[in-house]
Amino acid sequence: MADQALQDTTKPDGPALTRAEIRRRRRYENPWFNPKLFWGAGILLGIVFVGLVGRVLWDPDLVFTGAGVLRLPPLGFENLRGQAGVLNHPLGTDGAGRDMLALLIIGAPNSLYVGVLASLIGMSLGIVLGFSAGFIGGRTDDVIRVLSDVMITIPPLLILVVFQAAFGDVNLTMMALLIAAFVWQSPTRLIRAQVLSMREAGYVQMARLSGASTGHIMFREMLPNLVPYLFGSFIANVTTAIVTAVGLEVLGLGPQRIPTLGRTIYEAINSGALIQNLWWWWGLPTALLALMFIGLLLINLGLDEVSNPRLRRL
Amino acid sequence: MKHSTALLVTTALVGVVAAGSASAQNRADTVIFDLDRTISDPENFNWFTAGTKREHGAHQAMWEPLFILNYTTGELEPWLGTAFEPNGDFSEWTLSIRDGVEWSDGEAFNADDVVFTVNMVLENEQLSEREAATLRAQVAAAEKVDDLTVRFTLNEPNPRFAVENFGVRIFGSFLIMPQHIWEGEDPATFAFYPPIGTGPYTFASSATNRAIWDRNDDWWGAQTGFMDLPEPERLVWLETGGEESRAQLIAANEIDAAQNVSVGTLEAILQRNPAVIAWHGDYPYAWPDPCARQLEINTTVAPWDDPNMRRAVAHIIDRNQIVNVAYEGTTVPSQTMFAQYGSMAPFIDAITEAGFALSPEGDVEAGQALIEAAGWVMGDDGIYERDGQDLTVAIHVNSASTEYTRTIDVLVEQFNRAGIAARSVPVENGVFWGEVLPFGAYEMSYSWLSCGSVNEPWTSMNRYTTDSVVPVGERSPGFNNTARWDDASAEAYTEIVHRMRDLAPDDPALPGLVAEAYQHLDAGVPFIPLVQAAKLLPFNTTYWTGWPTAENAYNSPAFWWNHTHQIIHSLERAQ
Repeated sequence: MADQALQDTTKPDGPALTRAEIRRRRRYENPWFNPKLFWGAGILLGIVFVGLVGRVLWDPDLVFTGAGVLRLPPLGFENLRGQAGVLNHPLGTDGAGRDMLALLIIGAPNSLYVGVLASLIGMSLGIVLGFSAGFIGGRTDDVIRVLSDVMITIPPLLILVVFQAAFGDVNLTMMALLIAAFVWQSPTRLIRAQVLSMREAGYVQMARLSGASTGHIMFREMLPNLVPYLFGSFIANVTTAIVTAVGLEVLGLGPQRIPTLGRTIYEAINSGALIQNLWWWWGLPTALLALMFIGLLLINLGLDEVSNPRLRRL
Repeated sequence: MKHSTALLVTTALVGVVAAGSASAQNRADTVIFDLDRTISDPENFNWFTAGTKREHGAHQAMWEPLFILNYTTGELEPWLGTAFEPNGDFSEWTLSIRDGVEWSDGEAFNADDVVFTVNMVLENEQLSEREAATLRAQVAAAEKVDDLTVRFTLNEPNPRFAVENFGVRIFGSFLIMPQHIWEGEDPATFAFYPPIGTGPYTFASSATNRAIWDRNDDWWGAQTGFMDLPEPERLVWLETGGEESRAQLIAANEIDAAQNVSVGTLEAILQRNPAVIAWHGDYPYAWPDPCARQLEINTTVAPWDDPNMRRAVAHIIDRNQIVNVAYEGTTVPSQTMFAQYGSMAPFIDAITEAGFALSPEGDVEAGQALIEAAGWVMGDDGIYERDGQDLTVAIHVNSASTEYTRTIDVLVEQFNRAGIAARSVPVENGVFWGEVLPFGAYEMSYSWLSCGSVNEPWTSMNRYTTDSVVPVGERSPGFNNTARWDDASAEAYTEIVHRMRDLAPDDPALPGLVAEAYQHLDAGVPFIPLVQAAKLLPFNTTYWTGWPTAENAYNSPAFWWNHTHQIIHSLERAQ
């Protein structure tokens, strides 16, 4: 298909296409060649890359309490006491002397990690349950449907606050597992609906007639058709999971010693950072979170265009 | 959740309070104090039981103490009492009550009320608050001599009886309750609502986040000439919920007295509102609180049941770093368990001479040597291991103040660097004081449970005797010896502390005994003193002047204590 598009550089009855038009045409022919998708993925990979390279180039131990002078501003700024920023802490330090650059290098990938892991687990659950409910039907469908309908009415933050408070200190993985318990319901319901409509499709009937097992039909025949849709749902879930995780962290209920963006914001709020005008303390993690969400949103929009050709424009 | 929403909630609330008081009361006639906790049961004023029953204005505005210890002069100043005289061996004390004192409902306050309240506490073990438990342990009987005189017979001679129980030495004092209201009620469950007292303010209303008190213009004190009516017409205690919101509120003149803030925050407040003052006019601004901070250890939990492991921890701690990071230089490292007041110097010196003073710096190698001697081996991840188990510790910390959480953050780093996988467990104020500490539901914790002594050593030292040891899961009486320290060194220590009990604060034998007892404390390590406490309390002079400061030190600035009556009487309208 792509080759065809490359050869087809002239309109049948018009002048040759400009380079921009060729690019656009190419994009149309290969839906994955989508600028929103690229930008979104680029932003997120950039954050991960900075997290990985930063750990090598910058001292990760600076994220701990007492690593530097308290409340230093970023380079080129002054704090209320008139102290200027220093090269050793180019983005400044927080109220306990933690280096902001190190906090961002370690904290941003951590927030992303929780989101991706929670979403992966939630999606996997959703796929298995959604397919089972939709394809097997009967009692299985009843149980899964009622379960997900009940769970979807429970506000996750409320339950998570109680859980986290009861567990005390949790690590990132534990937190992701907890959040995953609240992000499987909507994929389950949506996949179930898709599967119900696909169940009677010709190729499924064909597979059934040729004696394929239920598992084979569900995951080898039907699943590939849902891939773009599943991707979109996955990214939406990552966003939800990160929002939930940051929400918990901002309430002070996240991991204690593992730096995360939410926890940094929590400590800033808790220590009078606003009145002290320590904008770098709460502002930098907030900006990074915003960037992360923009990245996720772009990917989601891009995936929408991939799975729905009507959204694509020439 | 509490803190992030607190700003919004309090801003809204101040609006409500301000709007509410605008109709009845002018802001300029009102003093608004910061409350750093939630009033979980706003319609319960039974102060003998646990909970926020006093520091929301009840014992600052409504209930008056018998005497007040003056922190500057060391004198016991008369209030509802006029004199408290011991017999020759301090085993009998005779209280004289001021003539003309009345409850706000017009009934006379007299010896009957005192005897009734004391007997009620003696007969009811469930009345668990510290002041009640202390009195119950000391008093054998109280009898009325005449309407204005009460004689106390003690179980043991006690030269400190008056100041310890009735003098607001730290935070509270034993408060007398009206017999005509409490009589016939079950003191363990009686809610005492609406409450009455003898003070110049009466209860107006309360909710979980505020309590309001209105001036009683018929106050007995003004009628008898004891004191003028205080100037403020209304007092409000308002929960502000965290450093940011209390700072914003005092900078905007929405409150008049704020709870502890950090130096950076105070500097920001001063830039926004030059009318705000603190104890000192300049750095370090803070008032030295008498409750020195310490690391509490539960000596029943392995591996911390081994005194050598506890000593290892004591070696690892670098107090200078706590001072610099958590307190930003507003305090100093503790040398001993005691508050470093001038009046305590003879005892601190005696301990120093005996070689038990604490170093401001850590000695990680010495600590690690002790850990290794106990069979732990350093693992690849930098954490000690034994039998496949990491050496871990969870440190419970009250999340109500950044002072607490940040100190524990510093300790957690120091421990992790030395090879102990420490983590902090922040818990809410009510859970911390109500469940974690008294029942021993912790491995280590951050608090000030040896607090008590300000001019003699016995009170603090007595808190760690074996008399107070109860099993984990039972409530430690008056938060004493929550470490549950009861090994051989604890018994030797207890024996010496018992000998100290009968000695007057200026007895020349006392410093020697302190040093002798301290060697057992040093061997047993039931807790580890960290730093002196410093409270940075911003006061607002926009509407009210006369706040206690280092220059005008009529008493301490701790406006959640029972002596706040003095502060309120000292306030004057700003012109």
